[in-house]
Amino acid sequence: MTKLHTMVEGAVRMLPSMKSTRIVWATSLGVSLLLFLLPWLVRLDGHPHADWQQFLGRFHPLVVHLPIGLLVLVPLLEVAGLVRPALREAAGFVLALALAGCLVALSLGFLLAYGSGDAGAGVTRHLWGGVVLTVVVLMCLLARPRSYAQGVGYVYPTLLACMLIALVWTADQGGSLTHGGNYLTQYMPAGMKRVFGSGAVPSASFYARHIHPILDANCASCHGEEQAKGGLRMDSYELLMKGGQDGPVIVAGSSAKSVLFQRITLPPDHKQFMPAEGKPPLQSQQIAWIKDWIEQGASPTLTKLVGVTIREELPAVHIEPVGEYSALMPEIQKMEQGQGAKLKQVSANPSDGLILFTVNAAGTFDDAQLAQYQKFAPYIVEAELGRTAVTDASFDTLKQFTHLRALHLEETKVTGVGLPRLASLSQLSYLNLSGTQVTAASAASLNTIKSLRQVYLYNTPAQPAPAAPRATQPKEKNAQ
Amino acid sequence: MKQHPLCTDTENADNVLDLAIPAQVKQEWAELQTRRHFLGRAGKVLGWAAAASLLGHRALHGDNYPAAGAQGGDLLRLPNFAPKAKRAIYLFMSGGPSQVDLWDYKPNLAAQFDKDLPDSVRGSQQLTGMTTGQARFPIAPSHWAFKRYGQSGTWVSDMMPNIGRIVDDLTIIKSTNTEAINHEPAIMLMNTGNMNAGKPCLGSWLAYGLGSMNDNLPTFMVLQTKLNTAENNQPVSSRLWSSGFLSSEYAGVGLRSSGDPVLYLTDPQGVDREVRRKMLDVVNEINRQTYEELGDPETNSRIAQYEMAYRMQSSVPELADLSKEPQSTWDLYGPDAKEPGTFAYNCLMARRLAERGVRFTQVYKRGWDMHDNVTKFLPIICQETDRGCYALITDLKQRGMLDDTLVIWAGEFGRTVYSQGGLTPDNYGRDHHPRCYTTWMAGGGVRPGITYGETDDFSYNVVKDPVTVRDFNATILHCLGIDHNKLTYKFQGLDQKLTGPVPASVVPGLLV
Repeated sequence: MTKLHTMVEGAVRMLPSMKSTRIVWATSLGVSLLLFLLPWLVRLDGHPHADWQQFLGRFHPLVVHLPIGLLVLVPLLEVAGLVRPALREAAGFVLALALAGCLVALSLGFLLAYGSGDAGAGVTRHLWGGVVLTVVVLMCLLARPRSYAQGVGYVYPTLLACMLIALVWTADQGGSLTHGGNYLTQYMPAGMKRVFGSGAVPSASFYARHIHPILDANCASCHGEEQAKGGLRMDSYELLMKGGQDGPVIVAGSSAKSVLFQRITLPPDHKQFMPAEGKPPLQSQQIAWIKDWIEQGASPTLTKLVGVTIREELPAVHIEPVGEYSALMPEIQKMEQGQGAKLKQVSANPSDGLILFTVNAAGTFDDAQLAQYQKFAPYIVEAELGRTAVTDASFDTLKQFTHLRALHLEETKVTGVGLPRLASLSQLSYLNLSGTQVTAASAASLNTIKSLRQVYLYNTPAQPAPAAPRATQPKEKNAQ
Repeated sequence: MKQHPLCTDTENADNVLDLAIPAQVKQEWAELQTRRHFLGRAGKVLGWAAAASLLGHRALHGDNYPAAGAQGGDLLRLPNFAPKAKRAIYLFMSGGPSQVDLWDYKPNLAAQFDKDLPDSVRGSQQLTGMTTGQARFPIAPSHWAFKRYGQSGTWVSDMMPNIGRIVDDLTIIKSTNTEAINHEPAIMLMNTGNMNAGKPCLGSWLAYGLGSMNDNLPTFMVLQTKLNTAENNQPVSSRLWSSGFLSSEYAGVGLRSSGDPVLYLTDPQGVDREVRRKMLDVVNEINRQTYEELGDPETNSRIAQYEMAYRMQSSVPELADLSKEPQSTWDLYGPDAKEPGTFAYNCLMARRLAERGVRFTQVYKRGWDMHDNVTKFLPIICQETDRGCYALITDLKQRGMLDDTLVIWAGEFGRTVYSQGGLTPDNYGRDHHPRCYTTWMAGGGVRPGITYGETDDFSYNVVKDPVTVRDFNATILHCLGIDHNKLTYKFQGLDQKLTGPVPASVVPGLLV
């Protein structure tokens, strides 16, 4: 009873007493009401409106991160304030700033949705999240001065907790809109996916294995359950074939007549190009698959397409970009001026990594020299060690090349004894052991390297050169 | 005495800087003058030379001129993206192979033997002088049968049974088409992206853009196949592997088809390696002084070429020594491969060059120009080339090299479906045909086992997915990690590029 009594008494004490404060509270109430009514007053009708609205609205993703950062900072300041009171004082200012940010971001977000004609469950949820969050932040700001008042100390921390929950939820909804609902879980390790129960068992059809994943990753964030732009949803086969408000987007048998194919093959700067809004265009291979799939009937069940040989029935190895190595660049460049082995960048994009070329030093490049490249180990994605003097001892160095994707050891003294040491290389997909003394037994250990896609054992005891040329068979072999 | 009006009067000529032209043009003009030009003029312009030195090397040659020793690629920041292929081998079928007899299977034509090609198919096309006077254009179906090969079920002529066995590794393009109708402009267009001589060829662009992987061999090598006098040979010339306006270090280096692969590579009697080195050092020093004095970048190219030749004195004999090739090599490439200069030998050499990190090797095979007597000539040349193509692809594949090597097989145009000259049941001739011809690629970056593009019932017009020469070249560059719009060199006021000023596009349907 006493407890209830203090709570009621506390609530009464929370109420405003002075006239100026009353004005503040009344205004806040008005703003909150207005915010709650906003989605009802101006309905998101799914039609695009004025360009200026879109222009301003597109600043929403930019502006929105400011209040997010500030709001996360507030509880931190409050907690840190227990030790250093000055920080606690700052929290009030930060909170007020965050509220202003929330209001701006909310307005811009609304303009974006309204202006570009976004509608759908995802957009609505995100909008409501933004409204609730803003109101909670407002309440936090009102409750804060009284957080020291006796008996009502719990109100402010509770509101802060609610605010954080609303923040995370709203941010997640927003992220799903821009990146797609499976953005966070797409590359979740298979084990984890099983625990979380996501990732349905893929069916064996070409659509399920190759087409749906492309559409899901590139299109479904705008054309899915959450947004359905142009009335089109591409998150399931039936909805995809049904088409959008202007009719079907796929004409089975004719890629030229299929609006979907037309839109993805326009020049990327064309107004109607898809994926829109600066999202990356589909890869050429993906476009080719979609084309073949449509032309051969756009079937949901067909497992194989004529003329489409997908080399890797195994999923492609996910390529991890290498880390930052700009500090080592002077050394790499100096090496390039010399005559010996050298490191070269795979491309202008540093995160594509480095290739180790040894062709200029082939005869003299040995295990000791290879060991000198340890400091570059995590940045080397390809090592061309063919015809060098390296031996099985090289595997001790090579196993530290954590981003190694291709390893050339053709015509070296490697016997394969050390091959199991490569098992830690999770990116290694190409291994050339042609012309070495690798035996079938030691090659068998390669089966433990799950990422391997191509292993070449031409002219080895494991796979001797064929006697008759007419019987020559490709020596490409899948390790699994 | 007054000078003739057409003589350049350097003393009294209008000062460009005083002309009523935009300041930007004046600036560019000033920058394009090399120091040599300044020094070659009268004393009154010596002051400009001083100004030019102040502007420095970069200003003189634009930002993309590589400094001595540096590779163009470093300055252009190439490859633009991670490449699928590190190197390429281009089998150039000079003369114009007949797509009708080799690749573009049209079974319905058999029934149309000696019927006139409908005018609607030919349209208003201008023909060559060789057939434009013909009274009629009788359809000549291929003399040879076709078979389906591989999992892809691709139709290939009986003339190429070995290539048939590798069709699942090939990306066949039936819709290649060109604007040129005669050999020289058409070969120029294929190789340099321009019908007129003087532009750098594909190999030179690659050497300039990507640089070398092996310091001891040229980045770009050319292998000519020995002349077969039984064939109708059109000449090829070094214009095709010229570096054009790029530095001459990027020109293709040819290996001779007989005798020493490179002339004068062996030291003369009494000159040992050490003497050679000392001599080169002195020559280089003199060249360096010349460069300091005149600033002509070609001097640096010359230094680089002398040094390359010195290193080739040991790398080329090793390259040409086939004694360590195992018996399986000869079984694969066939007995012809033992004879230097044959197509099979050049295919084997191309593999060896690829193994040694040579970026670009171009093999030329002449003799495809069959205006008459196709049934006599085609079997000869197919017999010469079929095994080599098969062996090269098979060999690269078994050695794990096809993953990062792009192989290209192409001529400069195709041949007409109608007969040039008399058509008999046993023989016919075919004229040049630019509107469609078949080419193929294989290996790094391209999609194996597909046929791209379609032609009409007469193998005359492309009806689906045309591939122009510039698209073809843009696609090759793409496989090597290059955006064809970014591999440029400023010359004559333009950012010159292989694909030229007309927009070109990479063909996505050909890519992996």
